[in-house]
Amino acid sequence: MSTALISIVIFNIIVALIVSLVFVPVLVWMERRVAGFIQDRLGPNRCHIGGLRLGGLVQSFADMIKLVFKEDYVPNSVKEKMLFRLSPAIVFATAYLSFMVIPFADDLNIDGKSYIMQALPIEFGILWILAFAGLGVYGLMLGGWASNNKYSLLGGIRAAAQVVSYEAVMGLSLISMLIVYGSTHFGDMVRFQGELIWGIIPAWGVIIQPVAAILFIVTAFAETNRSPFDIAEGESEIVGGFHTEYSAMGFGLFFVGEYIAMGVASALIVTIFFGGYQIPWLNTAALYEHINMVFMVIIVVLPLVSYVFARWIKKNNVWHKKDDVRNKETRWLIIGLIGVNILVIFTLLLFLLFGLEENGINISVALLQVMTFVVKLLMVNFFFIWVRWTLVRFRYDQLQNLAWKVLLPIAIANIFITGIFVVALGV
Amino acid sequence: MGIKIVSRYGNTLKEKLYLPAVISGLKVTFSHFITNLKDTSKIETICYPEQLPKDITSRYRGVHRLKKREDNSIKCVACYMCATACPSECIFIEAVEREDNIDEKMPKKFSIDLLECIFCGACAEACPCDAIAMDTGIFSFVKTKREDFVLDIDILLSHEPMKGGN
Repeated sequence: MSTALISIVIFNIIVALIVSLVFVPVLVWMERRVAGFIQDRLGPNRCHIGGLRLGGLVQSFADMIKLVFKEDYVPNSVKEKMLFRLSPAIVFATAYLSFMVIPFADDLNIDGKSYIMQALPIEFGILWILAFAGLGVYGLMLGGWASNNKYSLLGGIRAAAQVVSYEAVMGLSLISMLIVYGSTHFGDMVRFQGELIWGIIPAWGVIIQPVAAILFIVTAFAETNRSPFDIAEGESEIVGGFHTEYSAMGFGLFFVGEYIAMGVASALIVTIFFGGYQIPWLNTAALYEHINMVFMVIIVVLPLVSYVFARWIKKNNVWHKKDDVRNKETRWLIIGLIGVNILVIFTLLLFLLFGLEENGINISVALLQVMTFVVKLLMVNFFFIWVRWTLVRFRYDQLQNLAWKVLLPIAIANIFITGIFVVALGV
Repeated sequence: MGIKIVSRYGNTLKEKLYLPAVISGLKVTFSHFITNLKDTSKIETICYPEQLPKDITSRYRGVHRLKKREDNSIKCVACYMCATACPSECIFIEAVEREDNIDEKMPKKFSIDLLECIFCGACAEACPCDAIAMDTGIFSFVKTKREDFVLDIDILLSHEPMKGGN
């Protein structure tokens, strides 16, 4: 056990924790603000700590604290108390564990040894994900059944039937990707996507396999029980579905689990179809070679982006009452922005002046890739939210028709065509 | 009588693909998102406790008021018409004889229990002297005790009609 190994493991686990658990309040905030803007409303913007609102982000933390301190009430009609308690934990744990096999950066070389940048350094990531995606629905089913309530039972049954149908399509769309990549290891998949087709287009999964990409994205929506496939909750028909009887943190775990599942689905879409941690046209080797150029570009671009962002803050971050403590926030945010700029530029200038040794370059490449991954993740998360506030819910029979009569034949045909191509081209 | 054949939607290939319709819907929502993100001041949301609604019309049925005559004495003649018309029986009147020769009767007590009141406006309709009105524009009436919701004659007389109603 070297210090390098220990620090890399700790770093990976912290990154995994941040993108799964810490992102939940951020995603809830994003969901509410984006929903507000799409519907010409404001969304949460009132809650503040000493005037600091962060655009309403503080509201999510307030909501979390409220859920934690609420009375956890179990109705008398619940006979299977153990299962009732266990099911939110199953949903949460499975969603959370799925995140552990997503690579955040290319394998890191420290002193000639290579370390996998995943929280769990295993090489059969896709099987792990499929296993846990299938397990997650047990939480919904058990919760719906143990609640001893007709609405909950209906919700649980709907969730089970939906996940069973869409799991099949998801697996089949993944098989065509496995044929292309020839590996179950996410690292290999992303390295494959770092190459270029004919020297111009990045070989992302979505460009090689657009049909599989669409199938996977649709099934990922269904798998995470998000709109337009959120009939398991169906609040207009069956109250709250499987979580009708839950209160306080029991409901909170379902809620958090749902958002982590959305994060996992986004991470999968990014990793399999959108090049994972790869910056387009700059794979790991190219990044390693041109690291000084990348630093210079950052030094030039960061202040420009910050300037535009600061202008936007100044224009839009106004509280309608004049002498309110919230009005001071803009100044602090801009000071913070300037501070971050100075810090980053100063550090990068130091790197440029004195040069980095090999380990240093490797680490900075890894950090850049982690940041790329997080940005891509947030963009796909935004897509999830955007779709939720655009499309309406499917009717139940339409949902099953779509899965079995439309998506499944397309997925099978796609596998055959992919197989023929791969065999014919002899790749 | 010929048969009119109504063309059904959803049978062309483009419509069966779903995706073009999905994308056009996404475009609409995204344009809303971007315009609002660029300039939040255009959003019509009222930040309620600090900003009050401006669209309350003069016909809005708010909290009641009792009108006064030109000499500042009460207009009400304690005829009990409003209390009789009230469907929720929340108006309580006690009459006394009027000493100042303007009229025969006036209310000694006139109280309205706002917790019972359904703001139907029947009292204002029923009043033969046009002495009770609901044009104050008060839409939010918050107190901490139940007793405070029973408005007596002094409070009702002190309410003013809404200013600048449209």
